[in-house]
Amino acid sequence: MAEFSWLPRSPLEHALVVGACGAREVAPGISLTEIRNFDLIQIMARRGKGAELANAAKARFGMAAPEVPKAVSASDVTLIWSGPDQFLVLSKGGKHAMDILSQAFSQSASLSDQSHARALISISGTKARAMLAKLSSLDLHPASFPIGAAAATSIDHTSVNLWRGNDRPDGQAVFNLLVFATFAESLWHTMLDAAAEYGVDIGHSAEV
Amino acid sequence: MRIVCPFCGERELGEFTCLGDAKPVRPAAGASEDEVFDYVYLRDNIAGEMSEHWYHGGGCRAWLKITRNTLTHEICSVEPAAGAGARQAAR
Repeated sequence: MAEFSWLPRSPLEHALVVGACGAREVAPGISLTEIRNFDLIQIMARRGKGAELANAAKARFGMAAPEVPKAVSASDVTLIWSGPDQFLVLSKGGKHAMDILSQAFSQSASLSDQSHARALISISGTKARAMLAKLSSLDLHPASFPIGAAAATSIDHTSVNLWRGNDRPDGQAVFNLLVFATFAESLWHTMLDAAAEYGVDIGHSAEV
Repeated sequence: MRIVCPFCGERELGEFTCLGDAKPVRPAAGASEDEVFDYVYLRDNIAGEMSEHWYHGGGCRAWLKITRNTLTHEICSVEPAAGAGARQAAR
């Protein structure tokens, strides 16, 4: 029998070059960080089982799953609204991986493992909102897109899940973005083009 | 043009796809050929308010039932189509 060695590889492996990019004469206005090695499960209520799913989610995560466009976090998991009666479970280390969640939600929901199907990009910095404003039609001002706000939307004709995480220690807003793996490279280049004038600091991290 | 999705809020037109007339109802299995022909091919060309199915594919991927004025493009009402999400919207 043939021996296979499956190594997880980032969809941005080729496009992402760690370091500075764009304008160099200024302090970088944007940080683009790809988050790698996460567990991501899509959970969708089966027909008529929305209330049952809500109960199961509360029992499993100790908090209610969002029923409006929001993202809620506990110490080891983030639940991101992705549509009516559906949400994404973002975690790491296997604690909320497919094999475990599929048992917890076997009665109420259909699950789909998206861990290797999406790229997760974290966008922050003084010019993050200015850069996103070039690409997104959403109002990302703190008054209408506060911490915990989420949206299923399109950026550059590409479907994304966008949500605002906790601010950085220096007070800058953090926008997290999940994009289909095969679209990630295209969106990455689009964002780099939009961000270049502000100066970009590019990196990757294993911390969700 | 902007459409207020009942789940996502106000969004640009580009996130939506129009399927067309929401009025035709699929005939029963034993329906006559004429009824099926009607359902598949015949459409009213309405000048005024029209009920349509739209898909929020660039957002929450919910099907919506929208009343739109074909003369002015005014969106008069938006509600979730039957099926997923109807429970939530009803609240």
